[in-house]
Amino acid sequence: MSPLFLNLNTAICLSLTLFVAGCNSPNEKQNQIDYTTQFPQVSGGTLINAMTGEPSGLISMIAGESASSAISSNIFNSLLKYDKNLELEGDLVAHWEISADQKTITFKLKPNLKWADNKPLTSADVLFTWQAVTNEKNASPYASDFLLVKKAETPDAQTFRVTYEQAYAPALDSWAGLQILPKHLLEGKDLHTTAFARKPIGSHYYQLDSWKHGEHLKLSKNANSVLGPAQIDNLVTRIIPDNSAQFLELMADNIDLMGLDPIKYSRIIPARPELQKKLALYKELGNSYTYMGFNLKHKPFDDVRVRRAINYAIDKQEIIDGVYLGLGINIASPYKPGTRWSNPALTPYPYDPTKARALLKEAGFTDSNGDGILERDGKPFSFEIITNQNKEREKSAVLIQRRLKEVGIDVQIRAIEWASFISRFIKTGDFDVVVLGWGLGLDPDQYNIWHSSQQASGQFNFIGYNNPKIDKLLEQGRLELNPDKRMEIYHQFSATLLEDSPIIYLSAGYGLTAIHKRVKGIDDPSPPAGIGHNSQDWYIPQPLRRNEISAH
Amino acid sequence: MLVGISLISFFIMHLAPGDITNNEASFNPKASEESRQKLREMYNLDKPIIVQYGLWLKRMVTLDFGKSFASHQKPVFWQTTDVDGNVTQGLIQQALPITLMINLLGLTITLSLAIPLGIIAARKYQGWQDRSITLFNFIGFSIPGFWLSLLLMYWLGVVNNWFPISGMHSLNYDSLDTWDKIKDTFSHLFLPVVIPSITGLAGITLFVKNGMLDVLQQDYITTARAKGLGEHKVVYTHALRNALLPLITIIGLSIPGLIGGSVIAETIFAIPGMGKLFYDAVLMRDFPVVMGILTIGSALTLVGNLLADVAYAWADPRVRRGVAKA
Repeated sequence: MSPLFLNLNTAICLSLTLFVAGCNSPNEKQNQIDYTTQFPQVSGGTLINAMTGEPSGLISMIAGESASSAISSNIFNSLLKYDKNLELEGDLVAHWEISADQKTITFKLKPNLKWADNKPLTSADVLFTWQAVTNEKNASPYASDFLLVKKAETPDAQTFRVTYEQAYAPALDSWAGLQILPKHLLEGKDLHTTAFARKPIGSHYYQLDSWKHGEHLKLSKNANSVLGPAQIDNLVTRIIPDNSAQFLELMADNIDLMGLDPIKYSRIIPARPELQKKLALYKELGNSYTYMGFNLKHKPFDDVRVRRAINYAIDKQEIIDGVYLGLGINIASPYKPGTRWSNPALTPYPYDPTKARALLKEAGFTDSNGDGILERDGKPFSFEIITNQNKEREKSAVLIQRRLKEVGIDVQIRAIEWASFISRFIKTGDFDVVVLGWGLGLDPDQYNIWHSSQQASGQFNFIGYNNPKIDKLLEQGRLELNPDKRMEIYHQFSATLLEDSPIIYLSAGYGLTAIHKRVKGIDDPSPPAGIGHNSQDWYIPQPLRRNEISAH
Repeated sequence: MLVGISLISFFIMHLAPGDITNNEASFNPKASEESRQKLREMYNLDKPIIVQYGLWLKRMVTLDFGKSFASHQKPVFWQTTDVDGNVTQGLIQQALPITLMINLLGLTITLSLAIPLGIIAARKYQGWQDRSITLFNFIGFSIPGFWLSLLLMYWLGVVNNWFPISGMHSLNYDSLDTWDKIKDTFSHLFLPVVIPSITGLAGITLFVKNGMLDVLQQDYITTARAKGLGEHKVVYTHALRNALLPLITIIGLSIPGLIGGSVIAETIFAIPGMGKLFYDAVLMRDFPVVMGILTIGSALTLVGNLLADVAYAWADPRVRRGVAKA
């Protein structure tokens, strides 16, 4: 036998024995801890979570992916932010004023703001950030909101004023989403290549401590945090691409926090007492919904009776129960229920196959040859649902297929890889019906999705929706900065949309999270802004911290 | 040859619909089509494919693999230093050593198990040892790697806490001393190395066994036995050397696999290796990374074949003489 073989074997056995001896004991100790005991609140400790993808960089206006903003939102502040009830409040800004003609917004920064490197944070940084996001060379995906600013000025170091061509209601939301970058470190740099994206200096609770490619990012407390200190000293985000592996890490107590799917939330964890002992489960209304959208340029989907018939024929509760194990809700407007924009008077289409059949008959569909499929003008009613490779959407499509068959509509399903899906089908408009999802934005403006002017290839009204009444409401909503008047407009918008049924709301799933019970200070039940809204106040009592990390 | 390979892969890659601006993150009503168009111009994706290939080839002549679209313009192959002295590591530079290490360790384990097992199976041909080795091999061969991985991760990592579940290093790796660092790396690599070697064992064991069976039936082995050599000497000195010759070809052919890595294993074990890099690049339509990996991969395949031929000639005098005569 080769000597190499022997060496390897001894090395492996050695490491095995070392680990048996070295690693078992702390784990057993941890298993005996009762996590429900009350301990005094002391700042410190490390919170470990995981995500599936690595951020490309931490300048989120360039990176554009969620992994990037998940990290950078701990490092950078915006001018405004949303409070726990999803109303706007100042982040870097102490207060803001809107001029009488609603075209000018004046932001007053809080006094004595500092970057993590001790340099002052002034209105010049805000102006620089606005210039960066609108700079054509940077090609930021989020430029369009900021290009509407006609004039941006800094009367003094604490004041930043923007003037719009015409009143633009989503402006405030856009300023809540733009992370302010330091001018003194980025001036004259190419944002697409600068090393700053991998070692950023910000102003928020945390700063980047280390970034091991493909392994983890570690954030540590920023002593100059403009909003005061956070409770937990370090945030470590491990990069674990596989969801099952993440869950194993959660079970083995190597990560503290993880987003769950319905099966793990309602079947796996409740069935295991040892997991229940250390994991707390949280449920919050998610920020997106799944829908089935018609290509309104294709017959017969241009007929509102057909769209409504299909809406009645689909049992949404069945999809919520079957696909999301009941962890979702049925919605009637494209807004998060419970927020001011969601119209409480609206109710979703009930499951009513009789009504569906009647409407289809009215639209001229009958089963003339007795094969169970409806026909009009001799052509059977048959179409294809396309969706991207997303298990939940595929399963929803299967349930829809079955229900539509019952009313005499023949449906095929095709799941396609994302890039092909977008460029071959969505952009070209070469589809009948899609099952997809939209995010529930915090600002009610959905001009880009529903306005008839947004139908060009690559724009987001790809279903070809064209309704003058909706167009008008969307235009009005953009001009009105008064929240109450704005609410009226969007309530009317949702009502019209529901009646017209250009898409069918299938479900809004809950966001499900498991957090280790060592983490205290979490609001339960979560407010509309979600459990993470006060993560700076979360703390880990000293006796519950991980040994190997606190020694570190 | 390389130009041909790169031309074909470049066109196949561009046949796939979509580009970097079509990823899922960009499907956001806040992101406008104009900005996507600007990105396309920035990356020259608006030009005809043949022009894009020309631009790529022009850079390749100076061995410039370009910069990734998807990961903040990191260099594809090797590190660069900007004016302020910030070093940016290349994507392949980071991923290749990891994959190479795992696969070399895996290959070593596979070979060091497969050769003895193959010899035993050949010597006890059709005996219980042979049958149980074959059975064991085929069980290993038929078990899906990812399934076995998850089971072992659960058993060794969660239930018993003997091994770390995923990742390359512990979080406190930097604060460990050298001995603990080695221990830490070994324990992290244990599962990702051992599981593929088990599943890869079957093929090579069979290869060794069959080679050995062939050789043992040849006349010179009978001669060796007839002149009274010990069985040990017959098997290990005379038979084994000849039986192992075909292995050279196999190892040569496995060189591209060594740098390729495995998407599934790397995803499950959270290892930032070549397989994951390539897979993500394809999904993101990150053309410079895809082309970089394909080019380096095909170059190494050619080198691997050459090395196998040379090694064959070195090991087998018959081949060497044949070359010399020609």
